Amino acid sequence: MNYFVKGNPDLCIGCRTCMIGCVVAHEGKRIFEVDPDSYDFNPRLHVVRTVRLSVPVQCKHCENPACMAVCPVGAISQKDHCVIIDQDKCMGCKSCMDACPFGAINMTERKGHVQADGTLKKTANKCDLCYGLPGGPACVRVCPTEALALITEEDLETAMERKRAETARNTFRENHPQE
Amino acid sequence: MGIPEIEDAGCLLCFGYNGADSHPIVARRIVRGRQKGMKIICADPRVTETARISDIHLQLKGGSNLALVNAMANVIWTEGLADTKFIEEHTKGFEDFVKVIEKYTPEYAEPITHIPAETIRKAARMYATTKPAMILYGMGVCQFTQAVDVVKGLANLALMTGNFGGPAMGIGPVRGQNNVQGACDMGALPNSYPGYQNVTDPEARAKFEKAWGVSLPGEIGCPITHVPHRILHEKDEKKRIHAYYIFGEDPAQSDPDLAEVREALDKCDFVVMQDIYMNKTGLYADVILPAAAWGENEGIYTCADRGFQRVRKLIEPEGDVKPDWQIIAEISTAMGYPMNYKNTEEIWNEMIDLCPSFKGATYEKIEKYGCVQWPCRDKSMEDKGTPYLHKDGIFGTKDHKALFYGTDWHPPVELENDQYPMTLSTVREVGHYSVRTMTGNCRTLRNLEDEPGWVQMNTGDCERMGLKKGELVKILSKRGYCITRCLPTDRVEPGATYMTYQWWIGACNELTTAKLDPISNTPEYKYCACRVEKIEDQEWAERHVMELYDDIRAQMGIDTGKGAEA
Amino acid sequence: MKKELGCFVVGDSTKCTGCRACELACFTVHNRESNHVGKTVGTVTVPVAPRLFLTKFEEGCMPIQCKHCEDAPCLNACTKGAISRIDHQVIVDAEKCIGCKDCMQACPFGAIALLPYAKDGKLVAQPMGEETKVFASKCDLCAGIEGGPACVRVCPHQALRLVDPEAEREEKNIKAAEALLLTKNWR
Repeated sequence: MNYFVKGNPDLCIGCRTCMIGCVVAHEGKRIFEVDPDSYDFNPRLHVVRTVRLSVPVQCKHCENPACMAVCPVGAISQKDHCVIIDQDKCMGCKSCMDACPFGAINMTERKGHVQADGTLKKTANKCDLCYGLPGGPACVRVCPTEALALITEEDLETAMERKRAETARNTFRENHPQE
Repeated sequence: MGIPEIEDAGCLLCFGYNGADSHPIVARRIVRGRQKGMKIICADPRVTETARISDIHLQLKGGSNLALVNAMANVIWTEGLADTKFIEEHTKGFEDFVKVIEKYTPEYAEPITHIPAETIRKAARMYATTKPAMILYGMGVCQFTQAVDVVKGLANLALMTGNFGGPAMGIGPVRGQNNVQGACDMGALPNSYPGYQNVTDPEARAKFEKAWGVSLPGEIGCPITHVPHRILHEKDEKKRIHAYYIFGEDPAQSDPDLAEVREALDKCDFVVMQDIYMNKTGLYADVILPAAAWGENEGIYTCADRGFQRVRKLIEPEGDVKPDWQIIAEISTAMGYPMNYKNTEEIWNEMIDLCPSFKGATYEKIEKYGCVQWPCRDKSMEDKGTPYLHKDGIFGTKDHKALFYGTDWHPPVELENDQYPMTLSTVREVGHYSVRTMTGNCRTLRNLEDEPGWVQMNTGDCERMGLKKGELVKILSKRGYCITRCLPTDRVEPGATYMTYQWWIGACNELTTAKLDPISNTPEYKYCACRVEKIEDQEWAERHVMELYDDIRAQMGIDTGKGAEA
Repeated sequence: MKKELGCFVVGDSTKCTGCRACELACFTVHNRESNHVGKTVGTVTVPVAPRLFLTKFEEGCMPIQCKHCEDAPCLNACTKGAISRIDHQVIVDAEKCIGCKDCMQACPFGAIALLPYAKDGKLVAQPMGEETKVFASKCDLCAGIEGGPACVRVCPHQALRLVDPEAEREEKNIKAAEALLLTKNWR
């Protein structure tokens, strides 16, 4: 099963530290020291604020990813519990953006990647669970209120098992009130 | 009480305090308290992050604070929820207070506060019956012309329910800036020496005169918010201000009615600015003293909970910058009063020996315990300070009794009118601290939000005016105007607008009024009348904003990448 | 604030009946000015050549058209500089196009076709020959045509939709966030 990062609206205070943590982790540069124009500011998750909630939204790493199904150039693949976009293959057709029901993909400029007319390329950008980076997802690590968590197959399975056992116990008690 | 205790409160009344935006680390305690089952009542005209997770959100009309507080007191009294034993044993003046709040029935307060009477009742009951109950209040209380009265009103609530002098209770002012508490503690107030010793007290004055070997004036000085008036309109030549030494502050950005502030800085004969980066006030300075930043500095900060904490130097300052204390010492020496401190500890030791309530807070002790809350009167390591200022209901008055203080509500000074039909309140946003002198120079924070900032408006108002998210709008008051982006949100009520005060272009203090609370001299940042206008030519507006931004940056000598002609 | 991404039209194969009203509308609006195509059959003097393509496949049918890619392979492949991005949309300049077919091969959607070039109701011949000039034709999102994409407007089954990807993404973000409220106690 693919893993995913999940935000908890009860804990989120909308501070967007996760978005900055994401950029700092992915740029892999000494972002506070290099020339401000030399890095890309492309957070891979977005804090949504409505009347009722504040919470970051990011890729759910679906098991049958709609984005992957519609990609005309095979730039999206699944590996190591993760749905990943190959930005070098991507040609910015936005089909995945349209297909994703969560709005988890956006199109971002990439410094140094220029189209034939001299404008910057825009390619699909989404959470990759900090693939290949030490320490796991940066957003989870930097959140001041611990509002984000990485959910693994084991986490989900444990929760499901607990719920099943609870349901079974409750049903048993219903049928055997004396015991 | 201390900040860490917030999460242990049974009930938290968060009044005019938006922790998530102004102090995310304090907000963390609120969130954690919530997870532990703490009840939250949030009084705020906006749906803040705290309001969102609260049990009761009192979405009051701006400027109706005291009506709400008095109505809550009224409910607590009339429904028999008050702690009569505590009132009898530890307080005075309750009868007079009851006379004031008698008329503030929830039904009386409803049309003023726009909160249903039944909701006020529910909130009052929840606050009075859940123990321990804590109050946190912020700038939503302090930045009104009726500010001190509301603080006293909130203290009344805590007094009448016996919520004073123990863990996770009481009333907590969560300050507007970091180390505001420290600035007050150190006597950066017009009426006191360090340690809250009055300048008008001859005994205190004599002590400081002896220690410093100088004669000190016995009159109260000039509050910062009176400075423009004292420069521009003071008739008495002796009282007129001719020189203004500003450090760690950007009045040309943060003070109300910026047009007047600029005029005052312009007319002032001599302005000195001491800061870590160039700012708007610097444009009016005759002399700029470059200071070291917090990470290049050492010293003591005071937290909002009276806790002294060490700040340590991380890196050596580079270039021609110096720590603030060194600059002050050098200026003083140059002016004929030699200051020869070797380090901040020497200054600190001199100060605590002159302040009985700080005397025990040595560097060694603060280092050992991490934080020492004043009063701390003894230098022995056993005196760990005072977590509870009014422990067991023993108050700092002569007879150790707290005084109830009832006042009537009055509306804000500048109300909505035909010409300016909406209200403006200035607020904070989490990414940018204060006037942005520091965070504006943090590149990733600037990536998240940049000029010209936003005005938060109700979605319905925006639809009515045909305004979309991100559209540039002109916002005007009697005093001035600015251009900013429209942010439609249902987190704010119709008729109200909210702007953060750190933007150079979308500078909301062009609009705010300089009317002050008579006691604290804090301006009414949270209420003035304004009007929002649609800008038809958005392309022009975008260009105009960029020009303004480039112009300010050029004036400040910031390289805009557009050549050296600036 | 300025728009950041190009919009595009997508078809819905679950609604499309293959009536080709979209193709006719596309042809009509694009030739109304330049080739005097009116509302009756007699006014059509040039080949009916739309810029989107009703496509039949095993399970059904739907119109296919350009996505106005943000790293557009057609634009990158065009050596002549005949394809450019104007107001975020990928646009072919028919005058400049020499018909080299590189863009057709580069496009992974088959959204480009070579069409005969006509002006004033007449086919235009190549400068030095008898043959008709052709050009790479593709959806231009009805740039400059009042009312927006004609295909979307005329479809009797609402099987075509104009996508503003960034606006839709924000709306979907909100829905996804609201779903998190429902699943917050998943453990």
